[in-house]
Amino acid sequence: MRGRMGGFLKGCGYDALVIEGRSDKPVYLRISEGSCQISDGGHLWGKDIQQTEKAILSDPKNKNMMVASIGVAGEKLVKYSNINCELQFFAGRTGAGAVMGSKNLKAIVLGGKRKTPVVDMKKVKNLLKEINTKIQTDGTCDTLSKYGTWNTTGPANLNGILPTKNFQITTFSEINKIDGDAMLNTIYAGKRTCPGCPIGCRRVVKGETPYSFSTEFGGPQYETVASLGSLILNGNPYVIGKANELCNLYGIDTISIGVTIAYVMECFEKGILTEKDLGFKLKWGDPEGIFKMIEMISLRKGLGDLLAEGVKKASQKIGKGSEQWAMHVKGMEVPMHDPRGKKGMGLAYASSFKGADHESSMHDEAYQRENALPELGFTVLMNRKQYDGKSALVKTLQEYWGVMADVATICKFPMIPPRPLKPGLLIELMNAVTGWNLTIKDFLTIGERIFNLARMFNVREGITRKDDQLPSRFEEVLKEGGSAGESYPKKELEKLLDEYYKLRGWTPDGIPTSETLKKLGLD
Amino acid sequence: MAITVKFLSAFQDLTQGKKIFFVDQDRLSKILLDLERQIPGLKAKLLDQEGKIHPAYNVILIKGDIQQLCHDLDCKVEDGDELVIAPIVSGG
Repeated sequence: MRGRMGGFLKGCGYDALVIEGRSDKPVYLRISEGSCQISDGGHLWGKDIQQTEKAILSDPKNKNMMVASIGVAGEKLVKYSNINCELQFFAGRTGAGAVMGSKNLKAIVLGGKRKTPVVDMKKVKNLLKEINTKIQTDGTCDTLSKYGTWNTTGPANLNGILPTKNFQITTFSEINKIDGDAMLNTIYAGKRTCPGCPIGCRRVVKGETPYSFSTEFGGPQYETVASLGSLILNGNPYVIGKANELCNLYGIDTISIGVTIAYVMECFEKGILTEKDLGFKLKWGDPEGIFKMIEMISLRKGLGDLLAEGVKKASQKIGKGSEQWAMHVKGMEVPMHDPRGKKGMGLAYASSFKGADHESSMHDEAYQRENALPELGFTVLMNRKQYDGKSALVKTLQEYWGVMADVATICKFPMIPPRPLKPGLLIELMNAVTGWNLTIKDFLTIGERIFNLARMFNVREGITRKDDQLPSRFEEVLKEGGSAGESYPKKELEKLLDEYYKLRGWTPDGIPTSETLKKLGLD
Repeated sequence: MAITVKFLSAFQDLTQGKKIFFVDQDRLSKILLDLERQIPGLKAKLLDQEGKIHPAYNVILIKGDIQQLCHDLDCKVEDGDELVIAPIVSGG
């Protein structure tokens, strides 16, 4: 989770938090230096994330502490509910909110100020100065700083990878209303930054009646602009802002709910679902329908109870062929990058241990030039639409970017080529902090070990090659836009998987071999 | 010969919010010289220290329904073509 939570937890003297078991009644966990208390949380149950945070911080004993909490969606075990921190930062995707909800754990309150020992502070300061100076002067982060991740919306549409109308198409006719400049001219109200970051990619947004929303919450990022915008044919930035705030209040993942709403809208379009099923008519882009859907799913009202299980389970129950437009991999809804226009992303979605995840490997666009990442061996230009070379790229970047950035709790944005946090600098920084003597190879091996461990967890749960697949919709050829003529045929994915499994030392069925596990020290 | 140059989520400070420019040149190198006259300071931002297209940006050549990336300043353009200058997509 971005933001201050990692620093606060470390300040309490902990690197990680493992919560076992389940409370019989709602509680919250309060951690400070040398103290860990489980307190009654009955008064917090049923509150949204803003009410929860205010209630906790209004208690004098919690002054200057930090709150990570779940909303009502987490309490109701919505499978894509999230954990929020300080109303702005979210551990989204994969339903971490439901895990907390299942334990009756409403919030975690952190308040330690212990300083982290640093082996070579002088070197750390010098390296940070070098990295931050590059970020501010080399031009690679300029648009991220100005637009935040909205810098991606217009180019994604141009490239024909912007999911639109539930991935039926990849260019949006109303793009001029929701691209980076449009957002700056409408709902933008300022920017925020994570601690110590010179980029400041986080947007603050504000809207007035009829779509009022507050600056207190995290503004919608690119993924949300697409998932609650183009994906459901909504070209109104104020509706995106309002829908984003509702999702934040309920504590629900904006990608998954956007994909779920798009699925239902298509079911309506095709006559599979009707007003009788939902209680109202739902049309593409209808603001009130979007708001109602968010409420129904978050509170598990009516059909929302089924939709709260995600599009995989919902489509299996609704049936009538609707599984074909339930856009998920391993049960996780597909993010806002159509893999037909970026082939490596397709393999990354298919092979990720989480399911369809846009932060698990790489983005093809960054490798469309020579010497994109020479320290990891990627010197040859690779077109975003080509398959060749993508198996090795996806595998290595799963370890370097997908896993290790999370493990080291470092923001992934400055690590994306051509931005300045290169592998050598990153590892030098880690070594200066810890006193270790890691090499890039060591770093990647740790990532590989973690990736295989996660895969073995999945294997234990029955996941194999049969699950490393993409939705069949991606086999359809795109007819217009910057990726016109592109599709993702199953046979091409199967070829990539063959290569990828070999590189990983897995069986043709996608299971790590005993030799691979032994080599990684996991036997 | 008319070439349309569009700026997409890029350099709006330099262009003072203007998104579309027109030039009459047949190579990207000449187009940038022309654009520099209309948008002072653009070259220093769009090109890196070696004078190549800055890796944070794409210059995309659009010929009707066909799109391709310009990888260097020698990129040829023809009457009616469109160039789009945009940041690379990097997730979100």
